[in-house]
Amino acid sequence: MMTKVIFKNVFKTFELHAKKSEKILNLFSLSKKPVKEFMALKDISFEVYEGETIGIVGLNGSGKSTMSNILGGVIQPTEGSLYVNGETSLIAISAGLNGALTGFENIELKCMMHGLTKKQIKKATPSIIDFADIGDYIFQPVKDYSSGMKSRLGFAISVHTNPDILVIDEALSVGDSTFTQKCLQKMEEFKKEGKTIFFISHSASQMRSFCDRVIWLHYGMVKDIGEASKTVDNYQKFTKWFNNLNETDKKKHKKEMLGKQVRINDQFKSLKKYNKRTDVKEIIKNILVIVPVVVMGILVLIGI
Amino acid sequence: MLNSVKQVLKEQLEHRNLIFRMASFELKGMYQIHYLGSFWQFLNPAIQVAIYWFVFGTIRGGAPVNGTPFFLWLIIGLIPWFFISPSIIQGSNSVHQKIGLVSKMNFPVSLLPSIRIVSNSFQFFIMLIILIVIALVYGVEPSLYVIQVLYYLLCLYAFLFAFSLLSSTISTLIRDYQMALQSFMRMLLYVSPILWDTSLITAKFSEVGAVIENFLRLNPLFYIIEGFRDSILGRAWFYQDLVYTGYFWVLTLCLLYFGAKIHIKFRKDFMDYL
Repeated sequence: MMTKVIFKNVFKTFELHAKKSEKILNLFSLSKKPVKEFMALKDISFEVYEGETIGIVGLNGSGKSTMSNILGGVIQPTEGSLYVNGETSLIAISAGLNGALTGFENIELKCMMHGLTKKQIKKATPSIIDFADIGDYIFQPVKDYSSGMKSRLGFAISVHTNPDILVIDEALSVGDSTFTQKCLQKMEEFKKEGKTIFFISHSASQMRSFCDRVIWLHYGMVKDIGEASKTVDNYQKFTKWFNNLNETDKKKHKKEMLGKQVRINDQFKSLKKYNKRTDVKEIIKNILVIVPVVVMGILVLIGI
Repeated sequence: MLNSVKQVLKEQLEHRNLIFRMASFELKGMYQIHYLGSFWQFLNPAIQVAIYWFVFGTIRGGAPVNGTPFFLWLIIGLIPWFFISPSIIQGSNSVHQKIGLVSKMNFPVSLLPSIRIVSNSFQFFIMLIILIVIALVYGVEPSLYVIQVLYYLLCLYAFLFAFSLLSSTISTLIRDYQMALQSFMRMLLYVSPILWDTSLITAKFSEVGAVIENFLRLNPLFYIIEGFRDSILGRAWFYQDLVYTGYFWVLTLCLLYFGAKIHIKFRKDFMDYL
């Protein structure tokens, strides 16, 4: 089996700044103060093979969306390595439709941005319209759409851009059950074509029926990874246990877990990539570019 | 040394069709909600020109500049300015504004400033045509110098691209920059040779004035705007002032070099800075 995605010790940290000005000082590595960081993902490692459907479960704030954004190439991991073989397409409902344009025009625009040619767009348009199934509204500006219609259109466009690896981030939770059914059917189709799918959802039944393996993310770490129904069972056991705690214990547990996600980084690990001691060559290059400007500027100034 | 410049330019070239189509969609989106539609593209500049005609041409009746009627002199500067100013401001803001939309797709971010520049160009070309008609009405004899307009358009686009590439990155990393840029552009209108003739300084303060005027000439927009006047009024060829031409291009290439460099360096992390 071909390996499609490899996460190896992936960390994603967000710097916690008390003041806005600290951020900019850090950007130019002027401040030598240690940085407080929140680890949204903490040492994540796993492999995914071709044709697998991977479910991702977890509480709010456990890092599911951070992970889907990394998979979709929207953000980069802070540490660790990531290997993705193929084009990923991130399907999230909010994905920008232009409100002033009609649905029909949005189809063309978004397909274009996905890199489809004019011909491909022409071919895909009827089936997108058919899949979205929003009737004559397709020729109305998107700003007049209901939220359901928007997500239908957004989803319809995304699945027609023909990706190798799909990342579905809770995109199915907005539509009604008939639409969800239709989407799941489409997903089945993709599965049959041997596409790799990452599926983020809170619905245990969808997870069980649809995924091969499930990753349970828990406060930024992989708590469990394995066969779908088993992992989902474990996860449900946890939520049940958590729900039975009394309020103070719940808060205590949360605080403890969140506390583990914060670290003080005094080694400037995360900044390393910008902070690579600007080597002498680079400085000379920059000077070489600036010098002519200064020289010509002086010539203009003295009015030759 | 020029790897990042090459990469950025290659992206523009490879996706040139996409730039034009996205720009036209942007215009469509902008004007579709209006009853008069894209007619506004013509109406807006026409109204602006009419106002300046009224104020400077009729009421104030400025003195001719070197024999050119003041109004004609004025609009040759103003019309490029109507294009330059919004293009710089919107181009710089484009990455911050659109990154959320495009980051989920396989779409080169370096196209975003270009798309803004191109979508503003449609209006600019309409205004250029109006400008030439007005010049003819004022009795400017068409001369060979007009060909130079093409050269100065090249200068204009090269500068706008280089500058907005650089400043769109800065503006995404540091939001205050966008605010500062807006104020700066407002100021720039008054220190560029658009509303008044800068040679008045030299005339008034002689030697010190000459230095001040030369200082104002360091502004690359000075080169472009005076260049348009040289071409349309048939005053001079661009190679007659090689030092100034050299300065403009060296500066533009420098902006392009640093613009491409920091763009490539930060573009993967733009989302983290939103």
